[in-house]
This record gives sequence, structure tokens and C-alpha cells, in this order.
Amino acid sequence: MRTSFHKQISRNKLKSTILLVGIFSVLILMGYIIGSIAGPDYFTIIMIIAIIISILYIWTGYYNSHKIAIASVRAKVANQSEHLEYHHLVEGLCLASGLPKPKLYVMEDSNINAFASGRDPKNAVICITTGCLEKLDKQELEGILAHELSHIANYDIRFMTFTAVLVGIIAIVSEIFLRSLFWGGVGGRDRKLHPFLIIFGIALAIIAPIVVSMVQLTISRKREFTADASAVKFIRSPTGLKNALEKIKHEHPTKVDKHISKAVAPLFISDPFKRKVQNLFSTHPPLEKRIAILERM
Amino acid sequence: MAPLTWIIIIAVVLIAIAVYYFNKFVVLENRIENSTAQIDVQLKKRADLVPSLVKVVKGYAKHEKSIMNNVTNARKEFLKGGNIKEKMQSGNKLQDALKSIFAIAENYPQLRANENFLHLQKELASIEDKVAYARQYYNDSIMSYENVSERIPGMLFFNLYGKKKKEYLKIPQEHKAVPKIEF
Repeated sequence: MRTSFHKQISRNKLKSTILLVGIFSVLILMGYIIGSIAGPDYFTIIMIIAIIISILYIWTGYYNSHKIAIASVRAKVANQSEHLEYHHLVEGLCLASGLPKPKLYVMEDSNINAFASGRDPKNAVICITTGCLEKLDKQELEGILAHELSHIANYDIRFMTFTAVLVGIIAIVSEIFLRSLFWGGVGGRDRKLHPFLIIFGIALAIIAPIVVSMVQLTISRKREFTADASAVKFIRSPTGLKNALEKIKHEHPTKVDKHISKAVAPLFISDPFKRKVQNLFSTHPPLEKRIAILERM
Repeated sequence: MAPLTWIIIIAVVLIAIAVYYFNKFVVLENRIENSTAQIDVQLKKRADLVPSLVKVVKGYAKHEKSIMNNVTNARKEFLKGGNIKEKMQSGNKLQDALKSIFAIAENYPQLRANENFLHLQKELASIEDKVAYARQYYNDSIMSYENVSERIPGMLFFNLYGKKKKEYLKIPQEHKAVPKIEF
């Protein structure tokens, strides 16, 4: 809370850009290595194809991320008359944060969970489970919603969307590269190719996706604390969120609904559960720690 | 480099800083203006709900004329308008008057069971939360404005552009106390 809220936001925007540039450099480096292994004739073609695919991929991911996320969990629009309190709470929090009201969704799941997605505050969605509506009281629900709204306000959703898409690209390029080695298509002709280059290429193809997603997860965990802090800033009280997290901690996870299984995840251009979506519970720091911090606020 | 180049570079940097601060003040002022409008919207919504509330309550509690009149008058007072501070004040008075309606509703079980009444009660409660949040955001916006205008170099441009200080919205004294409900 020491750093100002707006500073945090601009820092997040900057970080998104740095990450974007960083991952693009990795991509181009990979393209370069693939190109030099495959031979100069293919270099330009491979690079052009890689760039076109990347741009298409980012484009669709960027503009449809929230739709994909909502569709993947089969969430339904929360209509005003049926979920009056949900709407009222979000409207209040939007006034507190100066954000436009996001689209609200409800998904069928008895566990308490929620996520926010979208590319910017104007195109954002919040989705909560039916478990939230059944098990949380007004104050706790407000805490959870303030946390999700903070992800929107802090541009975490854009960041997560970007990284998910880019991590996806890197994974695809790595895959193509590794497979092309198996085909033996590359370096097949009598060219003197430095073996170091091939080893370096293989290492990069294996390590790059892991490193990138590790960086992504580290940042994502740190953002949970920031989002908790911003939620407290909006409500001016940590009680609701703290109690909600307490409830989640003591909740015996009922069997997760099968339609949110990971089996459908590969169908999407990015993993809608672990990466793009700001899910309250996966890729998050331990609840105990978050509760302890909230208690001190 | 020639001295002229230096002068040009310095001039460009200074102009860039001046433009930056000019725009910054515009953004922050717009934010304050927008949050004022948000408070206004909520207060207006509350006033708009009053006639239907009075209508519902009259159906069950005909004898509570003085309370009804209080509410109706408070609404009229609010609709006279004024600046945001005056509106906040008259809005608070209206809120107090509404509280007394909900207090007397305790004596009319049929009224409390009325669906319209329950709906209006929920709406008004949520509006009260929203007014509080909107006021909080207004004060937050004032603070960001002050953070820029009271520090160096923002202070210099603040004076240069002839900007004026903005006031926080304070909660009126009588509202800090728990409202008294008389039976």
C-alpha cells in the first residue's frame, strides 16, 4: 500500500510491455536458430510464417480472451433481477474505484471461486461461482468482488492475457522446432552446421517455455497480494475479504465439476484455467499468508 | 555543440514538462468532475425512489402523515439543487427521513411483507452504500489532485496555470453519530 495505486498501475503496464518485448526477442531468437539450422533458403519463409502466426495468435487471444474464458467454464450472464445483490455490490465497488461496470457472469460450481478476465477495464468480465452466492454473506462477497475488480483496475487481466498468449506461442514454436529435428529435415543437406548451435537450439526450445511460465507465475502470485491490498483500499476494511478467504480455507473442496476439466483446456489457444484467467486459487500464494497480511491492515 | 542547440534542447524539454503537467491537471480535474457527477446520479436515484416508497407505505400506514410529509419535503428540498456540498447535505436529510420510514415499518407487518416495499428497501440500502463509495472516490480524486499540486514541480505549474484548490467532502457532524430512532 506504500506505493500509490496509480503508480502500481503504470508499473504493471510497463511490466507488460517489457515482458512482451522480452518474449518477442526469445521468439525471434528461436526463429533465427531454426532458420540457420534449416538453411538460409528457409530462413525468410520460416520467419515470415512465424511472425504471421504470432500476430494472428495475439490478435485473437487479445480480443477474445474474456469470451473464451467465459465459454470455457460455461458461465451464464447474471441478470439484474435474479442477482440483484451481486449487481449492486459491483456497482458500488465501481463507484469506489472509478471503473466502468464489467459484465457479470455466474458459473455453476459449488466451490467458492471467482475470476476476472478481459483486455482492459472497458472490456472486462467478472465471473463468480454459484458457491459464492450460496456460502458467502454480503460483506464477504463484496470482498471477493473487490479483489477481482482490483485485477481489472491494476491491468492484471491484460497482463495475464498477454503472457498466456505469448507463452502459448513459445510453446508452439518450441514444439515445431523439436519435431523438425526428429523429422531430420533440418541440416539434412551437406551443410557444415555447428553442433553447438543445434544443442543451444534444443536447450532453448526446452527451457524457454518453462522459464517464461515460471516468470509469469511469480508475477501472478505477487499480484494477488496487490489485488488484496487494492480490495481493502476500495472497501476501506479488510474484514469481508479476510472472512471469505477463511471460508475458502475451511471449505472441503467438493468434486470439481467435470465441465471445467483440463481436458477442454487444450482446445483453446491458451490454457483458460491456469494462466489467462485470474483464478482466485490456482497460481496463488497460500491463503494463510494472505489472511495474515489482511489481518495486519 | 553550439549554444543554440543547447537552448533549443532545453526549451523543448521545458515545453514537454509544461504540457505534461497541463494534461495531468486536466485528467485529474476531469476525474474529480466525474466523481461529483457520480455522487449526483446516486442522490438523484434516491430522490426518484421516494414517491413510489411513499405510495406503498401510505397503503398500509395511513396515519403516519408527519413522517410522510418529512420525506416528501426532504425530497423537495433536495430537488431544489445547488452545488454538490448542498446536495450532499439535503441528500443526507432525505436519508434520515427515509430511515424513520423504515423504522415505523416495524409496526406494520403487512407492509414489511409487501414485495414492492422490500424491493425499495433493498434499492435504497444499496444506494446508501453507493453514495458512500462515490464520496470516497471523490475524496480519493481530490487527494491525487493535491498530491500533484502540492509537490514540486507540480506546485509551480499549479500556480502558473492558475488552478484552484478543491475541497474534500466531509461527513457532516450529525452523521457521524449513530442515527437516533424514536419509537
